[in-house]
Amino acid sequence: MKNNIILFLGLFLISTATVFAQSETISPARKQAIDSLALEKVKDLSKYISIIGSKETQFSEANRVMDRAEELFAPGAEMGVSSINTSEIAYYKVRRYFERLMALNYDRVNITWYDIQYISDLERQPDGRYVGVVTIFQRFEGTSIETGMNYKDTTKKDITIYVEKKQTQIAGRTIEFWDVMLGDVRVTETSA
Amino acid sequence: MRITLITIAIFVASLSIVAAQGIGSGGTIKDDGRFAASTKQLNQFFRRFNAEESPDGNTRFYTGDSLFQNEELRRQFILRLFDNETTGISADLKNQFINQVLSDNYPQYLKFHLGDWFSEVKAQFMFQGKRETATLILKIQPQGLGYEWVIDAVDFGPFRNLFDKPVGDEKDFLHPLSHELGFMNLRRAFQDSELPEAFTESSFSPDYLTIFLYEMKKGNLKFETVSNVKFHFFQIDGWYFEVAQFNRPGFNTGWLISSLVKLNTGDKETLQKYIYGSN
Repeated sequence: MKNNIILFLGLFLISTATVFAQSETISPARKQAIDSLALEKVKDLSKYISIIGSKETQFSEANRVMDRAEELFAPGAEMGVSSINTSEIAYYKVRRYFERLMALNYDRVNITWYDIQYISDLERQPDGRYVGVVTIFQRFEGTSIETGMNYKDTTKKDITIYVEKKQTQIAGRTIEFWDVMLGDVRVTETSA
Repeated sequence: MRITLITIAIFVASLSIVAAQGIGSGGTIKDDGRFAASTKQLNQFFRRFNAEESPDGNTRFYTGDSLFQNEELRRQFILRLFDNETTGISADLKNQFINQVLSDNYPQYLKFHLGDWFSEVKAQFMFQGKRETATLILKIQPQGLGYEWVIDAVDFGPFRNLFDKPVGDEKDFLHPLSHELGFMNLRRAFQDSELPEAFTESSFSPDYLTIFLYEMKKGNLKFETVSNVKFHFFQIDGWYFEVAQFNRPGFNTGWLISSLVKLNTGDKETLQKYIYGSN
């Protein structure tokens, strides 16, 4: 079902690529299609974070999922993390962030997501690519059986999305389509 | 009344849409309305100020949509775009501002690309073995095929007293016939004086951003982290407001107006100078 949706979105974006190429402006309908594609990527990232953070995930499987998760991101993307106690940002490469998540010393980890997200307008940057930001909220709960400690936090994740026109060959024809890559992610602990 | 009903209808309708679009199917938590109410991005601040999205933020309004830039919706949005918990902006001042923004004859909107707004960013740097705070002013400019944020100015503590040009009798100088001696007395400026800036023209003003970048290129300044971001808006005629982020429990959170000033003639320039740290 999910593959069908992605295929549909892909075809939809391909079919509208000619319009983009001519005007280089994004109509509301096209923007919605791009938003959906971006949300699919963000959902994938959320799913991967839950798997990586779960103590039930075996080391080899977590590494494989980290590889998949890394593929969602543009090269050099970083996670910028801050907590309630300090507004200063700690920077981690995406892979390092996942590794830290995997190494958390809790016996039980539960990562869930709020049923709300916000998607910004797309702005064009100097190289012609479009950039936007998707905001989501995550709930983290970690329990240590030995110490009985139970840690909870809610974080806001502002995720950069890059929207780029690409080309592919289908049956000898060059087809243009728009692809979405994730970029830097700002992680802010909220007071919720 | 009509707008209230429409707002409620959109909000109720959006709840089912939100539930259907939940990020992690199965393990999602239902938002009790706080995250929906929060102005989550500055982009959302623009959209709400202009009434270009539904109350829950799920629907973007475009030209031709019935509620696009709707006056009553804007009024409701703007009232909620103020920090109503800690900032002491009087109700009268807010009303004056809102009435001018929503004026029938000349309604005013915020425009991302228009200029007359900029960001003030506090960032930490290591300089000469000490952690120092720099205040950077960034603004949006057109570049290539799109736009970019650029650094317009910097206010950096260690540079603040670097130049102290003397005035009056205190000021040393090169006498007006120095040229006849092939300016051999330049040694006064560059060798004998601890204040070589005394020998510059009356309008001399140091370019701190250039010095900042020079120190960085020399490896003497190292970026550590960003510690605070806020935005200053001068786009509404006769008004200035500041937008800051409020991360706290409740429904009045996110990017909100933290300061509002009615401007008289000359106030805009004075305020900008103050924010730029050159006052």
